[in-house]
Amino acid sequence: MLLSMQWLRDFVPYEGEIQELGDRLTMLGLELEEIFNPFEAIKDIVVGHVVECGKHPEADKLSVCKVDVGDGELLDIVCGAPNVKQGINVPVAKVGVTMPGDFKIKKAKLRGVKSHGMICSERELELSEEHDGIMILPEGLTPGAKFTEEMNMEDTVMDLGITPNRADCLSMLGIAREAALAFDLPITMPKFNLVENGGNAADMLKIEIDSPDLCPLYQARILQGAKIAPSPDWMRYRLLSVGVRPISNIVDVTNYVLFELGQPLHSFDADLLKGGKIRVGLAPDGTKFTTLDEQERKLIDSDLLIWDAERPVALAGVMGGMNSEIHDDSTNVVLESAVFRPALIRKTARRLALPSEASYRFERGVDQQLNTFAMDRAAQLMSELSGAKIVSGVAKNEPTPWQDRTHDYRHKRCNSWLGLDLEPEFSKKAFSLMGLEVNDSDAECWKVSTPSYRLDLEREADLYEEVARYFGMDKIPSVLPRISKTFDASVIADTPYGFYRRIKNWGRGVGLHEAINYSFVGDDDLDLLGLPKEGRVNIANPLSEDQNVMRTELAPGLLNTVRHNLAQGNTHIRVFEIAKKFIKDETSDTETREQSRLGIMLNGPRSGAEWPNEHGDADYMDVKGLVEHLLADLKLGEANFSLAEDHSYLEPCVNITLGDKEIGFMGMVKADIADKYHAKKEVWMADLNADLLRDIVMAHKIKFETLPVFPPSRRDVTVIGPVSLHAETIKDAIIGLKLPLIESVELVNVFVPEGQEDERNLSFRITYRHGQKTLTDKAVDKEHKKVLAGLEKSLPVRF
Amino acid sequence: MSDVKSLLQELEGLVPECSARLDQASLSELEDIKIDLLGRKGRVAKIMSGLPSLPNEDKPVAGKKANEVKAALTALIEGKQSELEKAATAESLSRFDPTMPGRRPAEGSLHPVTLVMDEICDVFIGLGFEVVTGPEVENDWYNFEALNIPPEHPARDMQDTLYISDSILLRTHTSPLQIRTMKDRTPPLAAIAPGKVYRRDSDLTHTPMFHQIEGFLVDQNVSMADLRGTLTAFVHQLFGPKTDVRFRPSFFPFTEPSAEVDISCVMCGGKGTIDGKPCRVCKQTGWVEILGCGMMDPNVMKAVDYDTEKYSGFAFGLGIERVAMLKYGIGDLRMFFENDIRFLEQFS
Repeated sequence: MLLSMQWLRDFVPYEGEIQELGDRLTMLGLELEEIFNPFEAIKDIVVGHVVECGKHPEADKLSVCKVDVGDGELLDIVCGAPNVKQGINVPVAKVGVTMPGDFKIKKAKLRGVKSHGMICSERELELSEEHDGIMILPEGLTPGAKFTEEMNMEDTVMDLGITPNRADCLSMLGIAREAALAFDLPITMPKFNLVENGGNAADMLKIEIDSPDLCPLYQARILQGAKIAPSPDWMRYRLLSVGVRPISNIVDVTNYVLFELGQPLHSFDADLLKGGKIRVGLAPDGTKFTTLDEQERKLIDSDLLIWDAERPVALAGVMGGMNSEIHDDSTNVVLESAVFRPALIRKTARRLALPSEASYRFERGVDQQLNTFAMDRAAQLMSELSGAKIVSGVAKNEPTPWQDRTHDYRHKRCNSWLGLDLEPEFSKKAFSLMGLEVNDSDAECWKVSTPSYRLDLEREADLYEEVARYFGMDKIPSVLPRISKTFDASVIADTPYGFYRRIKNWGRGVGLHEAINYSFVGDDDLDLLGLPKEGRVNIANPLSEDQNVMRTELAPGLLNTVRHNLAQGNTHIRVFEIAKKFIKDETSDTETREQSRLGIMLNGPRSGAEWPNEHGDADYMDVKGLVEHLLADLKLGEANFSLAEDHSYLEPCVNITLGDKEIGFMGMVKADIADKYHAKKEVWMADLNADLLRDIVMAHKIKFETLPVFPPSRRDVTVIGPVSLHAETIKDAIIGLKLPLIESVELVNVFVPEGQEDERNLSFRITYRHGQKTLTDKAVDKEHKKVLAGLEKSLPVRF
Repeated sequence: MSDVKSLLQELEGLVPECSARLDQASLSELEDIKIDLLGRKGRVAKIMSGLPSLPNEDKPVAGKKANEVKAALTALIEGKQSELEKAATAESLSRFDPTMPGRRPAEGSLHPVTLVMDEICDVFIGLGFEVVTGPEVENDWYNFEALNIPPEHPARDMQDTLYISDSILLRTHTSPLQIRTMKDRTPPLAAIAPGKVYRRDSDLTHTPMFHQIEGFLVDQNVSMADLRGTLTAFVHQLFGPKTDVRFRPSFFPFTEPSAEVDISCVMCGGKGTIDGKPCRVCKQTGWVEILGCGMMDPNVMKAVDYDTEKYSGFAFGLGIERVAMLKYGIGDLRMFFENDIRFLEQFS
């Protein structure tokens, strides 16, 4: 909300520093965002007096002027405007001045004549669209004086952030009330004398309202004999200072009063309204209506329209219609001043993406009791500016007159709510300064009436806030609360947050970088990975097509991370992410099933190039090692790894199961897919169900096992078998023999003999131990022989 | 009968011989010399095997001499040994290059959002709050209506929403966790809810996904002063005890009164300028906005059927990325989700 200091002072005699006013308003909840000069762009323009004006020797349309800009010497300026002549005052941009739009005035030669500056049109000064000629200033100005000073445009504007509850602060009057509160100053309302000229508006225009809940009040005044013309400078400059483009006297007045008092108004050309009737009613579905921006709008049955006897003439509270707007030849005006139901206006303005100063105020709520004052103020201004006569009386329909609102207020409770110990008199003073009326006949529970402009004061708690605002939110003392809670509240380590934190610290510990990707990707990303179309949770109003669906797997995000890093020249990529995947689920109250996953992705060298690091690119052993490390770290025992068939984007793909639970999968991203993410080297990844891991960890109890007392004996066996025979199969076969002395089996070496690539040698180390005695070599040898015999019998292997 | 004299001579002769042999000896030769002279079957032992055949009166002299010679030889050998060992150590040290790179495990990192989130959670856990989490896809009731934001309320403009359908959306704040937690439980309650939130907004200072922490306390006689005390303690722990805290009236539909909390600018120390130049972080105001808070609105309590006469509460929320930017001096919000390794590895 832009606030003109000049305009504000019409209401409240504040003469202090602007910054201080801004600071005080900030601490009342109206946050100062910026202070600026609204005419900064033309601050260097000066007043010039055209002393001589002659024809250009070489060009008919150009004039050569001698201009007095107060420098003693006259400036030679060549001017192309038809209305330049001797003896007038004009705005001049001297050489070196930067004009709006960032162009700098330089010495120039026009058809052989030197020109030292520019005489400006209104458009060049961004004051209007007027460019048929230069701007002619009033007589009696001082040559060389600052243009903005001489034209009474010196002003300062504050940009204040107004929260949605403070509809009352969307006007000069509203902010003046807060300034008055801050500095204990009086408010002066604009004074005017409404002159009515006979006739009876109520007879000329009937107002019908289809349903009282659409529109509590609709009234209008009628003006006759208006002459449409530009508004006077003072009004145009004030509108410009708050960022509004002046149009014509009638339209400018409606905008002026909107900014001054906060009441949006609309003016119709009375001659274009048919049948002497205004009706407020909803649009039948599919109604087509052309708003004054020349756009045809297709309406739905929640859009509120203003109708004449035959057709819609305005989109209520949002925008007027092409068919009834004020134009240059209009003479008779119907001035509408109404109150509409906020939710309706908001719905229409949002659906049609048509936010306006009017809809902004209507949807937040306008002051019904100020409505007549605002209408009369506007009528009188229009009359003064356009010469129109105001018809006596008002065409009015008010199905729901304003009812004063009264709320209970318990001072003691306010004190305990705020943590303060204020005297009752303090609250009374605050309320009185804010225009609230207190009835304290019950000392424990006052009745407080709130004015019609404070629509935000709806309940007792809202009154506490007013007391806190007046006291100073920043002066409330600090007290550390005693937090009482039961001991059965969950321990941090047991919460999902605690578990994910544990996993994240594991990831960092094993040398992975934590990534955070957006939860949404594009349908194309999921299609590229061949992921199913069903079950996707799509965003109805995405920012872009590449963010239009919630991810159903972590891979797309992690692949984006790989692509970004490769583009940046980072080749050593080891990342992990804990985040949710989203699947449609009609049984959920959010229609979505969310599952936390741990994703790991590796690409490029497994370690830095520096000696003595092991060289080579990350491969299956790296990603599997990480998964095994995690499971060991969580004390979850050994998982099963089995080749999965036909995974949509991994090949090979390995399923990971723990007992009968599928905890995830891992593998290599198919080369053609990786290529789409610009990864030339193998991309290995794992994707684990973090929620399930948490469940398993929570159910798992650590149980101490007594340390063995007797020493182990170890025997190695090298098994020669076909490469298709999985290491795990051999190991399982050994364990499957269920020999009581075998404590553990581990693969210790792999060797593929040269020239025999269809075979490989796998060396296993078997640890034998007896719980009650030291094993003799003989006993171990006997057991080991059983292993060899067993393997030979069950598998195609030799030794 | 052996001659004591020749025996003594023989013993004495071992010392200069040993000395001569040790002169050029290496560590392994030294071991041979030691065995040759002092071993169980060594020279000294051999000479002394003649002892029993000496006359009894000569035996003590010979025994004494033998011990002297043994001690002398041992001293010689040990002396040489320690000399050689020293030399060997010096030799191997001269080959040791302490500047060679180590065999170091890969170092990982935690995302700055995680670091800040954990730090903030730890502060509140220390103050007695528990941590709760919940769904990121929400329904309208939890995200808006129960939080006193009815349909077509202008406050909905404060949070541009990404919708899945008319009634399902991506949560725009972590505040639904207030409702979800309160609905399941009864006061007293003190909890924080960290997590991802989503807004339909993307420019230099907004990303469509970011992180928030919501906190709330519901009990009997909770006041605005308690809120102020809690948040002041929090700010002091996170940004240091000298940080100034300012409460400024504001508006949130789910709190009444509502306030925004500013802290003295971490860049310029609240002065508004750095070496005479305007501070860009606080835009010369000396303050940076860090969180929003207020007393829990009675309508929020009513939505979960709490007795508004019996209980009161406060709630607050803050954006994690904003804190991380202030804390680490990160200038560009978008870096948080690009996951550039060179960015990530700076945090741990």
